[in-house]
Amino acid sequence: MNWREYQSRQRVMVLGERFLSYADVGEGEPVVLIHGIPTWGYLWHRQLTELSAHHRVLIPDLLGFGYSDRSDRFDRSITVQAEALDAWLDGLGVERASLVAHDIGGGVALRLATLFPHRVARLCVMNAVCYDSWPIELMLQFGHPEADRKLSAGNAIWVLHHGLKQGFARSPDNELMAGLLAPYATEVGKLSLIRDAAALNTNLTMELTVRLPDIRVPTLILWGEEDRFQVIRYAERLAGDIPGARMVAIADARHFVMLDQPALVEARVREFLA
Amino acid sequence: MFGSGKTTPVDEYQARGEIERVYHEIRQVMRVNGVNLNFRTWAAHGDFLPALWDALQPNVRTLAFERGADALRAGAARAAAALPWPDRDPALPLGESQCFQIGAALDLYHYINPKLLLFTAAAQLALAGETVGGVADGDTTVLRRGIPGTMYPMEMVEAEPEDARLKALFEDIQQTLSLPAVNSDYRTLALWPDYLADAWRRLKPLVARPDYRECCDRLREQALAEARRLPHRLDFSVEVVADHGEDPKAMAALTGRFMALLPGLIIHMALILRDWRSPETLTESPFPARTGGAP
Repeated sequence: MNWREYQSRQRVMVLGERFLSYADVGEGEPVVLIHGIPTWGYLWHRQLTELSAHHRVLIPDLLGFGYSDRSDRFDRSITVQAEALDAWLDGLGVERASLVAHDIGGGVALRLATLFPHRVARLCVMNAVCYDSWPIELMLQFGHPEADRKLSAGNAIWVLHHGLKQGFARSPDNELMAGLLAPYATEVGKLSLIRDAAALNTNLTMELTVRLPDIRVPTLILWGEEDRFQVIRYAERLAGDIPGARMVAIADARHFVMLDQPALVEARVREFLA
Repeated sequence: MFGSGKTTPVDEYQARGEIERVYHEIRQVMRVNGVNLNFRTWAAHGDFLPALWDALQPNVRTLAFERGADALRAGAARAAAALPWPDRDPALPLGESQCFQIGAALDLYHYINPKLLLFTAAAQLALAGETVGGVADGDTTVLRRGIPGTMYPMEMVEAEPEDARLKALFEDIQQTLSLPAVNSDYRTLALWPDYLADAWRRLKPLVARPDYRECCDRLREQALAEARRLPHRLDFSVEVVADHGEDPKAMAALTGRFMALLPGLIIHMALILRDWRSPETLTESPFPARTGGAP
């Protein structure tokens, strides 16, 4: 599925003055797949097909990301994202869902699991931000307000393209990269991503540290063990702090573990959700 | 100095100094989250835009200006309703979110373009030596500053896209409409290239019709009449332009080109909006103004 096809499957929900685009495919127990930065729901396009055979797969574009609202006048912190997903699930009539989340999506999922525990049936985090693992240097630079003046959209895409390559075990094909970065290829998209990057805040996961032992739902921590952005020692910490959490290190995979080892990741997630 | 010699439009991220200040003011006072091609083009001529903006801003922020633009929008919507507009291709691969966003993007232009026309009409009259504004009973109530909360961002593809199909489409639009550059509106619709192609397929035959041209002429005349009725006397003239070293004739010609093109653009957006909104709603402002700004 190319990104245009994925985009044409997206639905929309208005949340106050914002709108949120999302995919909603399949039937069964709901599973929410949450992307990170600087991607969007398309990150999960392969898993959408794989998991929707047995589940209702819901994939939001976080606010300020992908094809959700990208206007330049709201907070994009993981606090706000968790609240938005809570409201979105309400709008969908979904009381409780399993969460599968990557990168800052993992931070959002950890907030949901600790602060909105009634929402979460199962929790799977992949190469997620947690504790003080973030923001990475690339995003710190990108989030500087001056980045908007210094970078045209074209230059920004070039920087991101080369930066993101470090997140793959093998060089991704150009079509995939173009798809992951498509929403950010315009000036509005670039500025939105700069604001997204500016909202990355270590404190919002550090404050969860004391709450992690309260998580009571089955938890799977999947981690590309060669990740240079979110190194595996953070996965080990999460596994130690979340009661009963199971950690699986995926070999020959970096940050984008679901794209480096899709079959293995899908098998592990299917098994976890079964 | 106006006469910097630079003629490439100044994108928002490129704006510095006075232009950056004026762009911020445009967004806040015009109540729009992007700066249209007119402004970006004027901005390429040194101090012309800051001087014009500062002269017109006392009018732009009034309820009278907003009402004038509302009347132009309603006139365009009525004109569009009388023109033939075939249904869009039902086979277009558009999802729910895309449809929502296309409608929201069109609302943005449906809102801002009549304001832009009124602004341009006032500038054109001033550059032609006419007295603009200062009517005795003009409503000087000031609008609340700021961009409406639900306004879609003014997102657009690059002016010269790499995609061959889009490039050909832009060339056709530019040639057919005699545009010096492809307007923001079409560049925004190009975010959904299949839809832009389908809309243009339906739009293109209309532009040669006499009734379409009459609609454009009527809207242009209406804009000039609304500009003459603005509440504050406009202190801007060819002398001001010349004092800053710019060629008044060249700036009048540039402004005249915008004046020639804007009515058609407004009618085009009103036509395309018929794909998404009922004709009755198109005569209303998508973002009704609130008063309460500082006097």
